[in-house]
Amino acid sequence: MKKLLAVVLAVAMLLGMVSIASADDVQEITWMFWDDLEASSDLITQGFKQVIDRFNADYAGKYHVTPITTQLEPYYTDLNALVDAQKTPDVFIVSPGPNLTDYVAPGIAAPLDEYLEADGWKDTFAGDAVFAQQTYDGKIYAIPLNTAAACVFYNREIFDAAGATVPTTYTELLDACEKIKAYGKTPITISAGTAWCLSMLAGYLCDREGVDLKALNANEASWVNEKTIAAGEKLVELSQYFQETAAGDSNDDATTALYMEDAAILIQGSWAIGQMNGGNPDFEAKCGVFQFPAIEGGNDPNRVIAKSDSLAMSSTTKYPEACIALMKYFTDDIAQKYTAEVGGKIPVTKVEYDADKAPAQLADVMKIFGAASATFGFYNESLVSSDAGSYFDDQMVAMFQKEKTPEQAFQAVQDWYQDYFAKQAEKAE
Amino acid sequence: MEKLLKNKTAIILFMAPTLILFTAILLVPIATSFYYSLCDYDKATRAYSFIGFDNFSKLLKDPIFWISIKNSLFFLVFSCVSQLIFGLLYAALLTNIKKGRNFFKNTIYMPCVLSSAALGLLWAFVFHAKVGINTLLAGIGIKGPGWLYDIKGFITLPMWVIAFVALWQYVGQSMMLYMAQISGINKSLYEASYIDGATKTKAFWYITLPLIKPMVGTAMSLNAIGSLKFFDLIYSMLGDKTTNLKMDVLATFLYRSGFSSKGGNHYGYASAIGVVLVALCLISTFVINKVFKTENYEM
Repeated sequence: MKKLLAVVLAVAMLLGMVSIASADDVQEITWMFWDDLEASSDLITQGFKQVIDRFNADYAGKYHVTPITTQLEPYYTDLNALVDAQKTPDVFIVSPGPNLTDYVAPGIAAPLDEYLEADGWKDTFAGDAVFAQQTYDGKIYAIPLNTAAACVFYNREIFDAAGATVPTTYTELLDACEKIKAYGKTPITISAGTAWCLSMLAGYLCDREGVDLKALNANEASWVNEKTIAAGEKLVELSQYFQETAAGDSNDDATTALYMEDAAILIQGSWAIGQMNGGNPDFEAKCGVFQFPAIEGGNDPNRVIAKSDSLAMSSTTKYPEACIALMKYFTDDIAQKYTAEVGGKIPVTKVEYDADKAPAQLADVMKIFGAASATFGFYNESLVSSDAGSYFDDQMVAMFQKEKTPEQAFQAVQDWYQDYFAKQAEKAE
Repeated sequence: MEKLLKNKTAIILFMAPTLILFTAILLVPIATSFYYSLCDYDKATRAYSFIGFDNFSKLLKDPIFWISIKNSLFFLVFSCVSQLIFGLLYAALLTNIKKGRNFFKNTIYMPCVLSSAALGLLWAFVFHAKVGINTLLAGIGIKGPGWLYDIKGFITLPMWVIAFVALWQYVGQSMMLYMAQISGINKSLYEASYIDGATKTKAFWYITLPLIKPMVGTAMSLNAIGSLKFFDLIYSMLGDKTTNLKMDVLATFLYRSGFSSKGGNHYGYASAIGVVLVALCLISTFVINKVFKTENYEM
């Protein structure tokens, strides 16, 4: 009996060791994202969930990824907390521009060129241009997953009922807003509570006025000039057509007001298509898209704000192969087709998708994107640092709230820049 | 026992765990924070460099710092005064009723034990511009104000709203402290006063109030420190909007400077705000203890 017991125990121990060993063989990685995969109605988020599930199923026993999800607003706070605790997620989503720079400069994000070149992965992308915002000193530090263009979404039914026409110029936009207001609907829904939304409109106005951001970022021009002031005045002028609750509304509140048909116009990135169609499928047929209007006598009106979601890999990951395998799942044909056909975003690879299956709004966005003479980033992501972007956002909100005049707001940004450049000069010495 | 208490080694041994813990989780972090407040944290290199008192001089020039000080002091004054009045009122009423005392006591105290984050979200819905109270008001033809985003005035409407929510949440704590003190007062004092012709109001004024004065000092100190550190309710009700709505208090300003996605990662600057916060807590406690310094009476 004792011998039998000993044999049983020995077998149990061996089996235990085998199972531990096999568990150890699985390369466990983490992936951090700014939305809740289980609860979100956003179609892009749902697509990402499918990618994660597919990856874990296909690589069962070899690789396994555990998502770390948070919300958009505290995303970088949470990510920074993990980085500072030496627990950087193996793969994490990041916006290109100063946000990505914050992880590239201190060496938190790893260069990805060798993996991109290794087996023709890079050739699957639409072109080298898709990596432009992710490249530092000739090295690529993040993989774009999709591209979104900031456009003006509108409710065709409200426009028709109010007798408004699709505006191509700023003056026509004011005219359309006036007609919609007279019709009894909110002309423009926007979020100043989520400051970047208002800042995006300010960015468009600045660009249409012809503000030279490159010169400003090179400390070769002042933020207080005719063009910025004119842009600020137009922002204040447009604010009379915003919903009354704009100051406190979040981005979700503002977007909901469009697809629930309380308001007629939303200036937003095409990433909102997934949210709008997910929130109210009936709205898809009523939703039109037009390019942000030109300002008479201003800059090229065919310039479009574009933004991509990108994935970076931690430089301290134990399992780079698993991370790259995961990134490839996000850019494979299945994921990229979903991006266009369901999510309504522009794919970054050469994938061919069924345009008839894609959300109706995507065709309009693609037309605008295709006709664009150039793209530019969000202003708050195109300044000298992420802090500068935050400060710019705050000043635009202060201007909208009439706490500051356009002159005062842009003077504040100029003062911030002067302080920044003075410090940079000090460091250089 | 007496012999043991005279043994210095035994005293040191008994005190050591507390002293070590106190040093490790309180004194060392405070000292470290003070050191970091004299440093600049570079996002790019993720390294600290010593800059002396630059963070403090920058603080003094920062308009958000002064808004935060104003708002924190408003919460301090509002919390101390309102919780003194309502806490004492509830305590006096509940010690004098016999039926339903426990029910009311538990009902008033209950919000204290609930999560501030959850309560904050709940109240944010109640005061949301498009749902909650404003929907009810709209039903009777009244246009509700922007409870959580109207920034007019020296003390903005959202400040008042959150201050009242905080009062609702924490008044039970003050009430319990005062009730504990009131129930410790010897009943014979009241009986003697009634024999001498005192009314209930006079008995409250001349017996209850003087005898609970030490507890008023303690409760006020707790309220003052709690309101200066006030964060969770504000953050859960307003999120990252605090700065744009001029709703920053010292704790949210610290969080934003240190950890927020918006302008965060300035750990040196955030530490300087933390040092100011600690200094304010110490000063307010000192002042309250001076004002409410009392003899201890035999009750």
